[in-house]
Amino acid sequence: MTSPTRPDARAALAAAKIPGPDTGIVIRKTLCSICEYKCLVDAHVKDGRLIKVEGSRGSPINDGTLCSKGAASRQWVYNPDRLQTPLLRTGERGEGRFRPISWDEALDRIAERLAGFKAESGPESVVFFAGYPKVMRPFLKRLTHGFGSPNYCTESSTCFVGANMGGYLNYGYMLGQQGGAEIDTTRCILNWSTNHFYSQAPLGNRTFDALDRGTKLIDVGPMLSPPAERADIHLRLRPGTCGALALSMAHVIIEENLHDRAFVENWTHGFDDYREYASKFPPAVAEQITGVPKEKIVAAARLYATTKPAAIVTSACTTIHHTNGVQNHRAITALIGLTGNFDRPGGNHPVPTSYYRPSGLAHREHAFEQVKPWSEMAPRVGQDRFPVWSRIIPQAQAMALPEQILTGKPYPIRSVLAFGLNHRMWPAPEVTKQALLALDFFVDVELFMTETAKFADIVLPACSTLERNEFSISPSRHAIWTEQAVPPVGQSRPDIDIILDLAKRLVPEDELLAQGHAACLEWIFQPAGLSIAELAAHPGGMVLEGRPATPYEKYKKNGFPTPTKKMEFSSTILAELGFDALPVYREPLQSPVATPELAKEYPLVFTTGTRLPMFIHARTFRVPWLRKLHPEPTADINPVDAGARGITHMQWVEVSTPRGALRVRANVTEYVPPGVVNMIHGYPGADANELIDPDYLDPVSGHPGYKSLLCEVWPHPDQEGAAP
Amino acid sequence: MTQYAFSLDVSRCTGCRACVVACQDQNDLEGDDLAAFRHVTTIERGTFPDVRIAHVSLACQHCGDAPCIAVCPTRAIVRRGAEGAVLVDENLCIGCHSCALVCPFGAPQFSADGPMVKCDLCWVRLEEGLKPACVQVCATHALDCRPTESLGAKKAEAASLRILETLVRTLPPEPA
Ligand code: SF4
Repeated sequence: MTSPTRPDARAALAAAKIPGPDTGIVIRKTLCSICEYKCLVDAHVKDGRLIKVEGSRGSPINDGTLCSKGAASRQWVYNPDRLQTPLLRTGERGEGRFRPISWDEALDRIAERLAGFKAESGPESVVFFAGYPKVMRPFLKRLTHGFGSPNYCTESSTCFVGANMGGYLNYGYMLGQQGGAEIDTTRCILNWSTNHFYSQAPLGNRTFDALDRGTKLIDVGPMLSPPAERADIHLRLRPGTCGALALSMAHVIIEENLHDRAFVENWTHGFDDYREYASKFPPAVAEQITGVPKEKIVAAARLYATTKPAAIVTSACTTIHHTNGVQNHRAITALIGLTGNFDRPGGNHPVPTSYYRPSGLAHREHAFEQVKPWSEMAPRVGQDRFPVWSRIIPQAQAMALPEQILTGKPYPIRSVLAFGLNHRMWPAPEVTKQALLALDFFVDVELFMTETAKFADIVLPACSTLERNEFSISPSRHAIWTEQAVPPVGQSRPDIDIILDLAKRLVPEDELLAQGHAACLEWIFQPAGLSIAELAAHPGGMVLEGRPATPYEKYKKNGFPTPTKKMEFSSTILAELGFDALPVYREPLQSPVATPELAKEYPLVFTTGTRLPMFIHARTFRVPWLRKLHPEPTADINPVDAGARGITHMQWVEVSTPRGALRVRANVTEYVPPGVVNMIHGYPGADANELIDPDYLDPVSGHPGYKSLLCEVWPHPDQEGAAP
Repeated sequence: MTQYAFSLDVSRCTGCRACVVACQDQNDLEGDDLAAFRHVTTIERGTFPDVRIAHVSLACQHCGDAPCIAVCPTRAIVRRGAEGAVLVDENLCIGCHSCALVCPFGAPQFSADGPMVKCDLCWVRLEEGLKPACVQVCATHALDCRPTESLGAKKAEAASLRILETLVRTLPPEPA
């Protein structure tokens, strides 16, 4: 540290990491993709090494700020677990013994094995999987189908795609991660079980700014999260009952004539059936189901329906992580049309699906990906089990993968080529592990030597965003082609380059992929006239001007893109495929109401997957600065439930479900309401997903019911032992 | 002398702890022995259903009447004129921990055998026209650092704007 009383100016500047010629510190404009929100980052680099990160000041996404995860980027990039070279297995499968091999040898071996499986068992016997990051997805999907396999699947098999299905079934449009909520211009936010402050921090700030402008806030969710803490009304429901709550609000709105009658008459299908079904949920009944006092349900329904415009902010996944998830989410998003807030300023608008962020920029992303029509390929993994998913989502459903590998039905899967696959994403991860070990050949591309990577035959080292060029575009059309901030660690390489090198070997006839990353992007965005060279000339990015803004009320032109051309309170697609056409409320498969006998033994509702600010799935547990902020596995339990069981704060407890048990510390807190136990997911040594059955899934989406099942908690006999 | 100080808008602090990590990144606090220069504490009050949860982010307050300066036997702790930062000269510090004893906020930290270290208000950054690392990173703009006299003025202005917005919203719309 410099001696402030005898300041040596240059040393002081260097110690404070001030960029400039005096210090030799340069700024490279890049972005953070740890959570995929893609905050713009000023990487402070000295002698080719990252010495510090800051958010880019003036960035329309994060204006100089970062969350704790992004702020820890240095320990993420230079993590001791980073893979240095391609690795070939030398020990038994899963033993974790490898030897380094060259990139050429690794890619040649992979190409040879995959071509062999294609010749012997058909291209469908090879599955391609994309976890994080998402930027390589269109490239991987194109490679998958070019290879001839229908089996492109992603971690979205458990994430926001389910919410998109809910919006799509109602409106024929996807509503995107936040439900297409116009947070910046709305006057009432109905924040439905999401906490952006911990998941997408800059978005949380926009919520605060909205509150400063006088916007009303209704929060729905069991947790006393930062938005709930600040809400005008907090509807603190039992996890998994949001469908009943939404139907009850609909009932109040219709009963009190607060709905948008013109919209409902002209633009909706099935309203009478919906109204009648919602009438089964008067507030007094909904109170019994949800635990929310009936007065609050009425007050929230009135506030949401009478404040114009109003927007529902939905989560990417909390509402769909129930065994009735998509139907619950349909009930929630039906309120948008009911109140006339659909595709109007300050309400909720459709958000086109795109992995380059929904900017509304004209593109050919889907043509780029789908080089072969489904009709020319075998059925996808999960196609029979999840027909609604398969109708709407152009991917295989990864939740069906372990079973298909293990049973060989309807056809054998011999190999998985994965980018960032974590078997702990699946409920009952030990089953997924068993399936991966049963494959003939498993390749994992990873940043770190993870538990799952150890199951692989070949492991390839990927680099992080800071070590490569990357394209991103924000909804405000700020586009960036990032600078490579630092050289890749070891021999690690960008995921997209790895895909392109595999493409040379597997689909040599694909001339576009052969032209490289930038050429592919320019092909995708050709209708908008995107030039990567132009972007590269603007480090830090530029706003793409002159492209037409997306109009509101798009349905007025050609109707809604649904079978009836209307918003469907009653879904034609669901009816056709043998599901409830209305957004019918069903209890979680395990709940105090659905399974009262089971609830005698397991009386508490177990929920997992809510975020802590320093973790995003399993991505940052190994980052020391972040791990130190939450060094041991915990389960949140309300003081009432803890007291009844003689549990004290931070005592070791056993959390058990019918499937299994974990040893964690009890975090006795009012963050959770009485009757609910909450754990973050994937914590090393105490993975909540081990407590969930492999078939605990929503039949519509295939998504696991992570957020509502049953458990019990008792003090653990082992109070002294180390953390698992 | 201008006296700079941190301020925290508790209504905007969500307990995300980005300030803690940004400080560690700024100051290379990577070892296990050194804690962070900034701490975030969460407090809960009440019982279901009437509960409040709040968070406070705290570092060295660079006090006007700093007890650590008064108690330091070697005068290693001094106030720097330009922005009023309370700083320790590691060449003079003898590691006696007297400052830790009297600091009401637990700001002074000690490595295994080294001198006292703590938040230095990012005084070099302030001189360069930048905010301290913890302030810049704060996604909800809960943390700030300004000259003391403008801190109060800024908070008053923000509060007034909030009141005005509410008033405007509740008035009937202007005739077209
Ligand atoms: S919110 Fe955090 S993790 Fe996500 S992109 Fe921004 S800094 Fe990175």
